[in-house]
Amino acid sequence: MVSAANLDGEQIYRQQCARCHGDRGQGVTKEYGKPLVGDRSVAELAKIIDRTMPEDAPQKCVGDDARKVAAFIYERFYGPIAQERNRPARVELARLTVRQHQYTICDLLASFRGAQQWREPSGLKAEYFNKGNFQTKERMLERVDPGVTFDFGEGSPFDEKIGRDSFSIRWQGGVLAPETGEYEFILDSENAARLWVDGDARPLIDALVRSGDDTEHRETIFLLAGEVYPLRLELQKSEKAKDKTASIELRWKPPQRAEEIIPAQALSPHWYPQRFVLSTRFPPDDRSTGYERGNSISQAWEKAATDAALETAEHVIAQLDDYAGIRNKKGDRNKLLREFAERWVTRAFRRPLTDEQKQFFVDRPFKESPDAETAVKRVVLLSLVSPRFLYQDLPQERHDSYAVACRLSYAVWDSLPDDTLLSAAAQGHLTNPDSVRWHAARMMNDPRAQAKLRAFLDQWLNVDRFVDLAKDARRYPDFDRETVDDLRTALDLFVNDILSSSTADFRELLLARWLYLNGRLGSLYGARLPPDAPFQKVTFDDPQRAGVLTHPYLMAGLAYTATSSPIHRGVFVARSVLGRALRPPPEAVAPLPVDLHQDLTTRQRVALQTNAQACQACHRMINPLGFAFEHFDAVGRYREIELGKPIDAGGVYQTKRGDKVTFRNVRELAEYLATSDETHEAFVEQLFHYLVKQPIRAFGAQQISQLRQRFVDQDCNIRKLAIEIAVIAATSSKAYDLAVHSQATP
Amino acid sequence: MIRFETRRHFLRKLGISVAAMPLAWNLPSLGFANQQRRKQRLVVVFSPNGVVPKNFWPDEAGKDFKFKQILEPLEPYRDRTLVLHGVCDKVRGDGDNHMRGIGCLLTGVELFPGNIQGGSHTPAGWSSGMSLDQEIKNFLQAEETTRTRFGSLEFGVMVPERADTWTRMVYSGPNKPIAPIDDPYQMFGKLYGAPADTASLKSVLDELQDDLRKLSKVVSKEDRRLLDEHASYVRSMERELVAAKQSDLGHAVPDIEPGVKETNDNMPRLSKMQIDLLVNSLANDFARVATLQYTNSVGQAKMRWLDAEEGHHDLSHEPDSNEKAQEKLTRINRWFCEQIAYLVERLAATREPGGPGTLLDNTTVVWTNELGQGNTHTLDNIPFVLVGNGLDFRMGRSLKYPKLAHNRLLLSLAHGFGHRIEQFGNPDYCGEGPLPDLS
Repeated sequence: MVSAANLDGEQIYRQQCARCHGDRGQGVTKEYGKPLVGDRSVAELAKIIDRTMPEDAPQKCVGDDARKVAAFIYERFYGPIAQERNRPARVELARLTVRQHQYTICDLLASFRGAQQWREPSGLKAEYFNKGNFQTKERMLERVDPGVTFDFGEGSPFDEKIGRDSFSIRWQGGVLAPETGEYEFILDSENAARLWVDGDARPLIDALVRSGDDTEHRETIFLLAGEVYPLRLELQKSEKAKDKTASIELRWKPPQRAEEIIPAQALSPHWYPQRFVLSTRFPPDDRSTGYERGNSISQAWEKAATDAALETAEHVIAQLDDYAGIRNKKGDRNKLLREFAERWVTRAFRRPLTDEQKQFFVDRPFKESPDAETAVKRVVLLSLVSPRFLYQDLPQERHDSYAVACRLSYAVWDSLPDDTLLSAAAQGHLTNPDSVRWHAARMMNDPRAQAKLRAFLDQWLNVDRFVDLAKDARRYPDFDRETVDDLRTALDLFVNDILSSSTADFRELLLARWLYLNGRLGSLYGARLPPDAPFQKVTFDDPQRAGVLTHPYLMAGLAYTATSSPIHRGVFVARSVLGRALRPPPEAVAPLPVDLHQDLTTRQRVALQTNAQACQACHRMINPLGFAFEHFDAVGRYREIELGKPIDAGGVYQTKRGDKVTFRNVRELAEYLATSDETHEAFVEQLFHYLVKQPIRAFGAQQISQLRQRFVDQDCNIRKLAIEIAVIAATSSKAYDLAVHSQATP
Repeated sequence: MIRFETRRHFLRKLGISVAAMPLAWNLPSLGFANQQRRKQRLVVVFSPNGVVPKNFWPDEAGKDFKFKQILEPLEPYRDRTLVLHGVCDKVRGDGDNHMRGIGCLLTGVELFPGNIQGGSHTPAGWSSGMSLDQEIKNFLQAEETTRTRFGSLEFGVMVPERADTWTRMVYSGPNKPIAPIDDPYQMFGKLYGAPADTASLKSVLDELQDDLRKLSKVVSKEDRRLLDEHASYVRSMERELVAAKQSDLGHAVPDIEPGVKETNDNMPRLSKMQIDLLVNSLANDFARVATLQYTNSVGQAKMRWLDAEEGHHDLSHEPDSNEKAQEKLTRINRWFCEQIAYLVERLAATREPGGPGTLLDNTTVVWTNELGQGNTHTLDNIPFVLVGNGLDFRMGRSLKYPKLAHNRLLLSLAHGFGHRIEQFGNPDYCGEGPLPDLS
């Protein structure tokens, strides 16, 4: 008999225990049927095994061997952590994520003000008036201006009809926020001017008073991506104010982007209702599994949700007549407000109310409040702190058409269903998957869907972590704040170009040889452009270009301040692109200082640093993937030599199945990535999790590979993939059933 | 451009626990620590359009003087009053006298050129300097022992909803006007949060608990954990609210009349509400500097309750020979004086927390105006009436100065706080330092 002395716990288990307990401790029906799970300690387990196991020959596994087996069992399936890990994936009860909460409130309120589709992005409606006070009878010209940047000098904007000394101009329409965050609006004019961005209540910039040489006015406002805000801008030149000249420019600085004249594609000449965006700050959502989800709560979240409810209630009460649609309306005010309250709760809960709910959420507050305003405030508060608003897919609400509508709209928009979708639900149209797919495709054209896909890609690319990107000023003096903002803008243009094209091709994302550059970036990245050239597509003929993978913003973000970082780049490819699981490093290691190894290339230095056996388990995969990018330095500029030595970007990647993929440079690596099953599967899984916020395995073991096949069949169209995912999430009520059934098991 | 610190921002900063805040501020160990030196406070009150000189200025100088019609309401506080005649706003430059009158009143420096055109003179923009109240606020906030939650509070009564040179007196710096808050409910929210919210919240939390209990019964075991956790947070929030409610708030939160709309005829009620809030915020040591601005420069209040149907500014243009108009103007100014008297009365009736005496012992109220006289638009003899003992001035006198620049009075106020600056505003008018014969 072979001594067990040099076998590890797993080997001993396989030899002596698995016959009765199963290879994963699940039990074997005829031998020992119960799974090996429990709450004994390793030491206790070891003692039991020592004395009693194996049942037919307890002396065969004692002492050290027993301890090794106990540790193995405990860690793999017996202990509480292992149990949690091995639990079958299921749909969990989830609250709205922070993003969903913000969008839901914003769109809920907008639904009472006549929400409008985003259409005809082309500029703002402009009205030009003779004299300085916008009198209708003096309106001489109406047109669409693609942007606001005018210098009229001492002259008239419209010679035939408008005097040069005294005139007024009003621009109106909608502005679409492409990103979520703080926007700075910049109004530059020597005349009296005012700008409204989120409604008529109060101007964002009030520059009626000109004072000194101060012509530039800046104000900041928080906007949600994919939402449209009403914008109005007024300019007055008046004789009385002794204005000699007139000029005006309206710019903005989107979060982390370059300042620019608000471009025509972000402006629509149509009317849009006032928007309300919560200013309550929430604690961040759990992202420990790689995607934001709402399956944990905290006191801080509960407080933020309550603050948000109060903030919203206060806002609704302040503009109650507008929201209730009873401005100038005749009739019994109390009755109208009560009708509004019922509509409010219905919309907030995303489904018709039962009689009991109507009684609880509407009738009772009205009965118990001294007046209708107070009652409405209570209704709004009560509905917004209610789990029926805060949670998705509550048990009794998982199987009807409204549940389908909600799952669909939260998957596509992170927000509640619009009227079209709700009426489809009411008419029972959502029982048919084709009809659901039709709605998903329709909804995918809304800017909120694009915004959600963009937010996913930012996370997938890691760029949401690039804050305060800066480089060694001695080595890269041109890489300043403006360059960083320009680069971010360039990445946006690149990604948006691909996402909004009809093919939305994932492979193009990884393989494109072009990118967007402007004059400033052109000089840094070696494109021949005039210094003041606006952003435009530039195609590179160097052999290494690989779409977003080698985009200078990504390359600069995945680098140290003075040198590239093959490890960061390799980890990005391994985790995001290939979906490989990597454990955190066994110990925190500071990078080897460049000064101590001045003769080593970056590749040699990283290889030296990670050559320990403990490191190699992961770095055998990470390093070659990262070295592939060595043609791009710390700011993402192309290079062919480092320290006088030619760049070596070649390497090998071993796939999950064990195949070896050899590449000589990043282009060859990218060509493999763009077409490999592994990459597609990883992309499918991550996009699913980002959109649905539930584990994909809960939707069937074959779901990933089925979706991957569909993705490939549809020419790797990202938008079509998103539609498929949304349809699956919306219609797989079976997955949601499991969550209910598990109620029965103790 | 300055925008209101809105309720939304306020909520964001402080969250729901504002309900419990007055408590915290009222704890002796927090609110009134470090009191080696006495507290000193300044309240500047503005009313517009000049005064009627013959019914305003005492004839006599010195201790023995008689209040005329307009100042009579201050009779009970005569020995704590100082009437300063002959202090002149000498700042010139762009803008008409109404604009410079208010814009240079506390800043002592020229307006920037700009596009706001008044009745005459050249157009102008905002003031090119900080106002004195903000200078003193910054001085007090720089020291831990004199620092307060807000530093300064800017109150208003019926200030028009537009930002221009005529509506702004207080500046945090060049081109940085601060809008006064003329809505008592907004000010209340800023000072105390909104207890109404607490009440409505309290009313829904019970129902929320019911709802959570119902749902908890129908979800799976794993999911129930989440709802139970949720319910426990709701319970703890409820406990917090109950605790805040049960504690005795004492005079920490004033009662203010609900539902008063901002209309011309409500001006007397709004004035009282704002004064009550002002005195209360001083008692709670929320700030040591405050301003209270009635309407605006060229303000057009129609004081129907005084049988003055015409707009105040229109009336102020009437010549001295129009006796009816002068009578009405006298009534109007006397009404403003009554507001000062009410403020002073409230200060005198409120004990100084953590110290001897009353608030009035440590507070100086300065009542002023953008013009000396409405129909001449003069910037000479700007009304300056001081009441209270916040600064170590010798009170109970009428002083007559030979046309001295008002910058020197601004310097005196700063020095009164121990802030010994040599210049304030345009240095040309600061020549010989603080006004003589004050302390």
